Amino acid sequence: MADSQLEATVAASAFQKQWFADLRRRVFDDRQPYALLQADVPFELFDLVDIPAVSNQWWAAIVAAKRQATKFLDAMDADGLHGDLCRYCSLGYASTRYAGAGEAPWGGLPTPRLLCARLACDCIHRVFSLWAATFGAELFEIDHPGAGDLPPRWWELGRSRWRELVEPHRLAFVVSTLERLIERLEAISGRRLDRDALRERLELVNQQEEVFDAVRHLIAAAPECPVRMTEQITNVMATQWVRGSTWALAHARAFHDEVKRRVDDGVAACPGECARLMWIGAGLWHDTAFYTAFEASHRAVFVWSMYLAFGPDGYIRYGLDDPMAALASRTASFNEYLHNPPWAAEWIVHQAREHRIDGALVLRPRSMKPGATGRLFIERALEEAGIPVLPIEADVVDARGWDADGARASVRSFLDTRVLQ
Amino acid sequence: MQEPYIVASWPSVPVEIVRAAGFRPVMIRGASGPTPAADTHLEPGIFPSRLRRLVEDALTGRLTHAARIVIPRTSDADYKCFLYLRELVRRGVTTALAPIVLFDLLQSRGPDVPAYDVARVHALLDELSSASGRLASDDDLRGEIVRANAARAAARRLVELRRPVPRVAGAEVFPLLAAFWEMNPDRYAEMASDAATRPPLAGPRVLLTGVPVDRHTLHETIESHGAVVVDEVGPWGSGAAGDDVRIDEDPVAALAEKYRDDSIGARTPVDALRRLTQSRLDEVDAVVVSLPPDDAVFGWDYPALRDVLNARRIPHVCLRSDPYERPTPADHAALDVMVSAASQLHEARHG
Repeated sequence: MADSQLEATVAASAFQKQWFADLRRRVFDDRQPYALLQADVPFELFDLVDIPAVSNQWWAAIVAAKRQATKFLDAMDADGLHGDLCRYCSLGYASTRYAGAGEAPWGGLPTPRLLCARLACDCIHRVFSLWAATFGAELFEIDHPGAGDLPPRWWELGRSRWRELVEPHRLAFVVSTLERLIERLEAISGRRLDRDALRERLELVNQQEEVFDAVRHLIAAAPECPVRMTEQITNVMATQWVRGSTWALAHARAFHDEVKRRVDDGVAACPGECARLMWIGAGLWHDTAFYTAFEASHRAVFVWSMYLAFGPDGYIRYGLDDPMAALASRTASFNEYLHNPPWAAEWIVHQAREHRIDGALVLRPRSMKPGATGRLFIERALEEAGIPVLPIEADVVDARGWDADGARASVRSFLDTRVLQ
Repeated sequence: MQEPYIVASWPSVPVEIVRAAGFRPVMIRGASGPTPAADTHLEPGIFPSRLRRLVEDALTGRLTHAARIVIPRTSDADYKCFLYLRELVRRGVTTALAPIVLFDLLQSRGPDVPAYDVARVHALLDELSSASGRLASDDDLRGEIVRANAARAAARRLVELRRPVPRVAGAEVFPLLAAFWEMNPDRYAEMASDAATRPPLAGPRVLLTGVPVDRHTLHETIESHGAVVVDEVGPWGSGAAGDDVRIDEDPVAALAEKYRDDSIGARTPVDALRRLTQSRLDEVDAVVVSLPPDDAVFGWDYPALRDVLNARRIPHVCLRSDPYERPTPADHAALDVMVSAASQLHEARHG
């Protein structure tokens, strides 16, 4: 069993911690601006005008992994915010608004110059308005026009025929909004965004995602999974927040090479692998040990999550004559790809087949309502494809209602009765 | 022969456009009762009752005769409902269903939004016109705006019966106000004008806010405690009419502006909703905040509202139960406490 982590994983974790320390130093000592963003905002635009950007979801995952979420969420409850409101997107806000309730990791978030969010679900306008008011910072919103046209098998169109994926009026709207965002970023940073540099950055993003595509194919084709899902996530997400940067591309390649060596050497995350599992939904950040809990007992290994798989299919855009349109085409339908019919179910079944998945665990988020939609379509499509499904009810950052033992018992029973029978 | 109609999931679809294209608007509203067909596809705790009913009706053949099902971008749940229905048709789960149309009216305040919305209203008009075969001219649209404005004026007269001194119970007037969206505007104007002036009603005056209610069940519950519901923040009661639509050379732009700025729902900007709510507080003695389990939005506004109410010493209660179901004993107890405190406030103010 490959108990030791990949060198790339250790490097990715160290990079993130150092990056955040540098950010704090830059903000506090040099009084430089930074931005707080929803994960689906185009980070490239910020980086190109030298405004570092922190992802709300990344920060929430760090707070949860450091076991601080409960304290902030208790404070949120005590302030009258009811328990059915989304905790994943608001944990970062809670760590600012109720800062005294817990100990935010690594010294906490400094005050950003700008917050920016796509209004992909209804609560985002609320959460980011409250957060911006708490910081006394500016908020820039990117509205989310709805898709009326959803051509099937989106991942086959996304790379080269992306204009067919997004209706022209939606694409034009997102381009226009991103142009306004650039105006604000230029005003804040005092730097002009170079359109040629944007094209070059998107080409580098393409290269980075091509590397991840190769990793994905290595994992899918290897006789046994060479790298645990949790390590896949650490390596992918550390690069995604700074995608297209020199470090990100170099790290992606290092990760690829290490995975390839493992495949060539016949190293498996769980030797004697009996069951290949996929996790559908956001990560269970407060209990990542869950993902390795069935290796010893059942030789069951988590092979797939959206985090590695979505990069190549969701981000690559060839044909960069108009880089803003290409960027907008990626931004416009992010959530529909991942959660909603017909797109999410088709893609996940396709991925399950490619990865020879034996069983799927589907997150039923307790409070994250947009993330919970489309789930029944996905579950049904997987079952129809012959892949057994176990729904797991959990909140991804809130451990208070999580029955770790009960969930593990359910998975063991699922493996015994439906996967390994 | 039945008048041709379209079904909409929320009253943010311009009824003037619907009528100009030759259709009667029918708005889906929530109700108690099981929705077994919808429950197979809609996750629990996410979709409000009205959308569960819409999908239930769609899957059980009750919408067979609708010319179009129009789903506005009023909330994420509405948008997801649109995607679900399209998928259910694509998969052949239901076949006897009218084309499903997304009316993607955005409500954020970016400078790109107004032009986008005008284009979407044009697209809706084109879609409905192609369904009916009736091409509506600008004059047709202006005519419908005039008729709807007359109905709005009538609805505002009904609202005057509620404040500052209530002369009609909330449970009685709410259905009349809500009828604005579906009733023939000429008949509506006549009906509302016939409403007699009544003697003042006793009891503390209550504002109902939180997730907008589309039926008067909660009004009945609140009023059973001796209060009078005099206002709601939402599109169905006092907010149904709003201001008139301006009549000028570009009726589509006027409608886009009216529905973007005045439609109340989950995507109404928080500042606008806060201003609206606070503007109503001068004429009420208590506030009921309804935050049912499917709420993902309005609960975020609660702490700020609570602080305002506490500062102004206005009693309030926050109800978490489903407004279509029987209230819990805890709800009744909380309402008792609120009404008692509000009665004292009311007496102190008015003697």
